[in-house]
Amino acid sequence: MAALALAGCGLGAGSTPSNVSLLVTQGFGAQTVVSDSRPKIVGADTVMRLLQRNAVVATTYGGGFVASIDRLPGGGSSDWFYYVNGVQAGKGAAETKLHDGDHVWWDRHDWSAAESIPAVVGSFPEPFVDGYGGRRYPLRIECTQTSSKACAAVEHTFAAMNVEAFLGCLLCSQYNLSLRVVVGPYATLSADPAADQLARGVGASGVYARFENHGTRLALLGPSGRVVRTAAAGAGLVAATRFLGQPPVWFVTGTDAAGVAAAVSAFDAATLDQHFAVAVVDGAAIPLPDQEP
Amino acid sequence: MSYLRRASPLHAARAAVGAAYCGAIVLAALVVADPLVLGVLAAAVLVAGFASGVGSRVARSLYLSVPMAALIVAVNALVSRGGLTVIARLGDAGPLGQLDITLEAVAYGAKEALVLVVIIAACALASAAVDPDEFLRSLRRVSFRSALTATIATRMVPLLALDAQRIGEAQRCRPDPGGRLAVMRAITANVLDRSLDIAATLEVRGYGSARRPRRARRAWSRHDLAFACSAAAIAILAIALPAPFSFYPEIHGSLGVTTWALCGALALAVLAPFAQRRGIRP
Repeated sequence: MAALALAGCGLGAGSTPSNVSLLVTQGFGAQTVVSDSRPKIVGADTVMRLLQRNAVVATTYGGGFVASIDRLPGGGSSDWFYYVNGVQAGKGAAETKLHDGDHVWWDRHDWSAAESIPAVVGSFPEPFVDGYGGRRYPLRIECTQTSSKACAAVEHTFAAMNVEAFLGCLLCSQYNLSLRVVVGPYATLSADPAADQLARGVGASGVYARFENHGTRLALLGPSGRVVRTAAAGAGLVAATRFLGQPPVWFVTGTDAAGVAAAVSAFDAATLDQHFAVAVVDGAAIPLPDQEP
Repeated sequence: MSYLRRASPLHAARAAVGAAYCGAIVLAALVVADPLVLGVLAAAVLVAGFASGVGSRVARSLYLSVPMAALIVAVNALVSRGGLTVIARLGDAGPLGQLDITLEAVAYGAKEALVLVVIIAACALASAAVDPDEFLRSLRRVSFRSALTATIATRMVPLLALDAQRIGEAQRCRPDPGGRLAVMRAITANVLDRSLDIAATLEVRGYGSARRPRRARRAWSRHDLAFACSAAAIAILAIALPAPFSFYPEIHGSLGVTTWALCGALALAVLAPFAQRRGIRP
């Protein structure tokens, strides 16, 4: 009986997770459909049941897939995707159980440029506070210059949130089981295989920005994956991706030291909220993907 | 396949009308979503079976459909991801994710099982109260060869059952009786032999060159009219008066006037033709 209880078996709805929030948007977070910091939740709900309790949902395939939310249909090149604590789930919403502190974000967006966006920054400070998949992960801040102001600022941000972070060097570990926040100019990060994805485009990284010319230029991409504008000196980027199923890697980076400083200035919940990634160009935070003309 | 003419209004009606009556009940079971209406329909079919003198056969079919119904409920409860009211949690099943049994999935499975029960009961009523030979005869003008094939096939089934019984009895007299597989093998060989004999007989008697027969005029009896009207009423009621009922994500249905009216009207439409008891003797 004890083993069954530990495995999550039992009669009835089960215990209700706390501090769960729900966000439903479309267009990469541009337009809010449902935003509820205290959604209705009953027992050990799944992501799908949370959504069904708090929005008008049509499902297909025996309730396993979302066909529409609040009469906004999926299908074609624009479909519904969900992220729990900023991490794209590997399972269907009906199979994903909710845990304490989960921030569930459904977004309807064009996936023609990127079939998979493995991680997003718009749920910050998640996944650093509550982890994901019901498991908390250690956090490592990896700076190319550990004594830099940018590195200290990022460390201070986590300290202010009471999130314990370990300062480490870049590529000190071959395989990571930690959440990583990588801080430094992109040119100094490119040896990192996860960072290398940022130069290979949105199809590889899921980030609608691409570093070019050895990291000295930052191309901002639109929803279709086309370059909307290109920024050079002083451009920063806050973005997240995953590499080979490892925990998400966040980048606080830029085309140069000034760009990293600009990215650090955008590294807060208010700026990142509800965005897939954020670029900072000429002091202005630009949600990614950038708006196409 | 064990049709026996009895003194009942349904037996007295022409076979095509009887088949249409049972077909209308099947259609209603497929169209109606409300479990209450389906339950009333199942009860009405059972009563119709007793009114036709074949109640025990319909009841037996209901009894036999229970395991299938239970299987449908169990499979739907395990497979369906819909529903918001969790009644049991079976834990994380690896790649299948979280397995939760919801009240809505059980209820929907029960409704589908009820549909199956009504369909099986209606088919049992048809097989016991509708003359298969007359029904197939009525299809001669549509497709002579298909009707002939179906007639021979339906006649072969009880014959094979008798064969199986006979061979089984003979087998039991032996010191080493053997299994059912041996009986099946013997029956299969038998049926192939008989098929060849029948094919040769049909060829010799010139069935292959037969033409479409003339229409056989036969006046409509009061029972024909009653069951034809009943079949039409059942189909129209089921299609035109839907009792709204949804199972997912939560069970929503009304026990309002419309639902009760549909229950009463369907029961009346199914049973009304049995009120006329004149002229039912075989």
